[in-house]
Amino acid sequence: MKMRKMLSILLALAMVIGCLAACGKKAEETPAPAPEKQTEQQPETKDETPAPEPAADETPAPAAEDTTPGSTPRNETLYFNGQQWGAINAWNPIHSNANNFGISQNSSAREILYETLFMYNLLDGKLYPLLGTKYSWNDDKSELTVELNQAAHWDDGTPVTAADVVGTYEFNHTYSPSFPGGWDPYITGVEAKDDYTVVIKMAQTNGVTNNPLQGLQYIAQQYVMCKAYLDKVVERNGGDQAKVQDDLMEDFVASGPYKKYYNDDQKVIFVRDDNYWGADASMWGSLPVPKYLGHNLFADNAAGNLAFSNGEVDVSQQFNIDIPQMMETNPNISAFIDEAPYNMCVTMPTAWLKLDVPGLDQKAVRQAIAYAVDYDQIVSAAMGGQCPTFTAVPRSVMNPTDGEQALIDKEALKPYQFAGNDIDRANKVLDEAGILDTDGDGYRELNGTKIHLQAACPTGWSDWEASMEIVAAAGKKIGIEIETYYPEASTYMSDMLTTGQFEICMWSPSGASPTCPWGRVRALMSSEFAGITSNNWSGNFGWFRNDRADELIQAIPTMEDSQLKAAYTELSQIYLDEVPSFSLMYRPELFHNTNESVWSGFPALGDGDNIPPTDCTDGYGIAALYNLYLVQ
Amino acid sequence: MKNTINQAFHSPKFVFGFVIFAIMLCLAILVPAFSKADPLAMQAAACYRPGTYFSIADAIEAKKYNLKMDIKSHRFDKTLTQEDKDSMVEWLVKFGNVEESEIPADAEEFVVFWINNYKDIKIKGLTNAKKQYYRKLTAKLSAMLKTSDIVIAGEDPDTGELIEENKIEFNSFTNVNDVTVRKTFLLGTDNFGRDEFIELCHAVGTSLKMGLLAGTIATIIGLILGLLSGYLGGIVDDIIVFITNLFTVIPSFVLIILISFSVDQSARGVLLVGIIIGATSWTWTTRSVRSQVISLRNRDHVNMSKLSGHSLIRIVFEDILPYIASYVVMAFILQISSAILAEAQLSMLGLGPATTKVATLGLMMNWAMSAQTPLAGQWWAFLPVIVSIALVAFSLNLMNTGLDQVFNPQLRD
Repeated sequence: MKMRKMLSILLALAMVIGCLAACGKKAEETPAPAPEKQTEQQPETKDETPAPEPAADETPAPAAEDTTPGSTPRNETLYFNGQQWGAINAWNPIHSNANNFGISQNSSAREILYETLFMYNLLDGKLYPLLGTKYSWNDDKSELTVELNQAAHWDDGTPVTAADVVGTYEFNHTYSPSFPGGWDPYITGVEAKDDYTVVIKMAQTNGVTNNPLQGLQYIAQQYVMCKAYLDKVVERNGGDQAKVQDDLMEDFVASGPYKKYYNDDQKVIFVRDDNYWGADASMWGSLPVPKYLGHNLFADNAAGNLAFSNGEVDVSQQFNIDIPQMMETNPNISAFIDEAPYNMCVTMPTAWLKLDVPGLDQKAVRQAIAYAVDYDQIVSAAMGGQCPTFTAVPRSVMNPTDGEQALIDKEALKPYQFAGNDIDRANKVLDEAGILDTDGDGYRELNGTKIHLQAACPTGWSDWEASMEIVAAAGKKIGIEIETYYPEASTYMSDMLTTGQFEICMWSPSGASPTCPWGRVRALMSSEFAGITSNNWSGNFGWFRNDRADELIQAIPTMEDSQLKAAYTELSQIYLDEVPSFSLMYRPELFHNTNESVWSGFPALGDGDNIPPTDCTDGYGIAALYNLYLVQ
Repeated sequence: MKNTINQAFHSPKFVFGFVIFAIMLCLAILVPAFSKADPLAMQAAACYRPGTYFSIADAIEAKKYNLKMDIKSHRFDKTLTQEDKDSMVEWLVKFGNVEESEIPADAEEFVVFWINNYKDIKIKGLTNAKKQYYRKLTAKLSAMLKTSDIVIAGEDPDTGELIEENKIEFNSFTNVNDVTVRKTFLLGTDNFGRDEFIELCHAVGTSLKMGLLAGTIATIIGLILGLLSGYLGGIVDDIIVFITNLFTVIPSFVLIILISFSVDQSARGVLLVGIIIGATSWTWTTRSVRSQVISLRNRDHVNMSKLSGHSLIRIVFEDILPYIASYVVMAFILQISSAILAEAQLSMLGLGPATTKVATLGLMMNWAMSAQTPLAGQWWAFLPVIVSIALVAFSLNLMNTGLDQVFNPQLRD
């Protein structure tokens, strides 16, 4: 009897569990890998500090019928995903981990809260005026003169002047620990010529400017901050560098079109500054359309993608393998481009090989792995076909944009290029190098020891994980044992990638910026980064050293345009022959998919607006905010 | 023994469970035996739905047949939905300066009318998604209208000129059997493009192997410790009970995760994962065997053996074990079932064997989830796996309860 009772209890339990499992179907639909934060390429430390509560006077007056804090009318709010994971830590652009969706100083800087002098447009590679109206070089390119827009003012009403630009440079130079290392080799100072003109002094060697492109990069990337406010911040922290860097700047003064409105560990809302200077006819001539910019904090990629497909997110910056299928079935979803690759692929996630690891120190092994990997499979299985294949755009150091492809001699590269899944060629290279399977276990040995490699990428970055599995499968085919390893993203970045403690790892060199393709080639091959054992975010993670490559990288910034093609072609030849790393796919730097159930008017390729697909927030992409309109 | 087995096969529950189990076992043994295909070979480019795929190039060359069939209207019926029609009418009225009365009712005329009137122009008030929808629809419709022959051309490698190689008449058909290059994926392919059915059969086999190994290890450890502890009593019992309690309070799954995590992935094969699971899940076998032995050790026949001077091992194996054997067999079955589930959980967390080395049910689930197959409605990537796990566990549990009824007279109906 007891057993029967037990059995009935067990059966009841089983039924309950069964029901739960059935209800758990949703959980099934929202698999839980950690979010894909691929585009936010900055060290990500999970800071548990709770988000600062909004000051009492800033707490929004919620809509009459809705009393949830921070709630805003749907038809006045543009929602994002994939830009903010976890609560905001700080509003300070030099904070070590601000984790703030409004702050991103990349080549396409985020222009929501703070603004740069110029906006970069990755579609045409040009700079568009923002706080600065025009820039000009002197004859030897030692000075970059920028004129400021006299209409620009801070959100406290005071004008943006040359003193602010100079003050920001000095503030960054003194208080941002990474600033001098990054900029001093190229920029020696910023001076005010008059109230609305600044001169950026470029660093020179033997009378030749080190790299004029870095001057353009500077005016597109560095935010201009209010000098009066910075002085206040410095004063309240007693001028202590660490304290200034850690200042949360909750009372920040900026010039951008949006201001802080509400943020907690559930969502972030910015509100439009109706007094924004850009409404002046000399700039946009109007205010951006959405009154609020909202970002709900999703648990992971899948949750964000689900919200996107349901129309709760308007602009999605997440990798979504289902985009092609969603575009077929959901009448509201579109991407920047109608058909594959759907977005502008400007970067190349790359498998970096650590060159001092036994096995990878052999050119034959590096080449063999690179030849054997099935890149088409990566494109179709990992990227869902959302990028061109290496057959369509044969590999080099260039991204697939026409501008960069024009800088190489494609015929000259043909003998060096490889399209992948070429097992015979890989085996031949290994056999010729004498790296053979001598003990018959199916794996090749080098000097008597089995070659065993570990391929790593951050856990939960599902498409990257799939790519690494395909690399491992290629290894199996050519008798090189490759195991995969997926540590937490923060561990991966701090302990492996940036310290050189890995065998094979995955990361993207810079995609589109004023300094590219030079910046990318430098990141791929320049020996100036070889041997750095901590915090190397610049590139050459595998410590490749090649004198000829260094020479060319050094020479390119000051080369005549006519010589560039030869130099880049030679660099591509070295890169493809030596295989210090190999690109696994082409990929957008930002994903830009839209659900037009509420808002429409987003940029699309060929619509004549020339607005880049940078999520309506980055670089010249912010121009999209002025074209939006409500569907209903 | 024979009698017991006979009895067992008279229990409908046991038989039902056994049949399901036998089917799964046959699949796991026979499919890999007959199909020499590598279950991990990436045969397709991505996650493709179940069905037969045949080479288009081959179909072009295949034998042609002429069927009397109105292909065009068939196409219109199949592809042009009412929804499409409605949105086309909406566009024509809104942006095409067309009166609704002008629009022809006949499907073909309607499509021709659409193609003549539709313009891909920049229209304010039409979303990008809609524009794109109309563009694609128009392309599809214009292809449907075509009744001319289709010319297959090849590129001249030297001049790049197109040379006609083959011509296919508008109404030509081919028999599916005439296309020789074909591939059937019974359950489609997974996100890596691997044949789901073959992979699944291998994975069930792997899981059963691992379950059997883990179950055997757990049962042996549990049995030995339980027998010793129950029969010897005293300090030995105290120590064993202490260790058992220790292992009982630490959730075994946490232990499994910790041990797996500390082992290198390349070493984490089927064998090792089986050992890890077995070595952490023996506790409740020990506890129940011990309590059974305690109730047995003062029976008359055991005391008789003791007085006759039989050795400990002989007493345990001859006088005690036979009485609890049926119980141990049932515990063993349950151990197998829980070990299979443990492997699935472990692999889902990415702590199982390597993806490129072996197919397991947990790994298949892991990749199905990370490739968002449920969101895309690609049921074949995860549903068969769930059903397989459920069937294996269910059949083992059914066999267990069936045996329980046979061995335990109190439960007999």
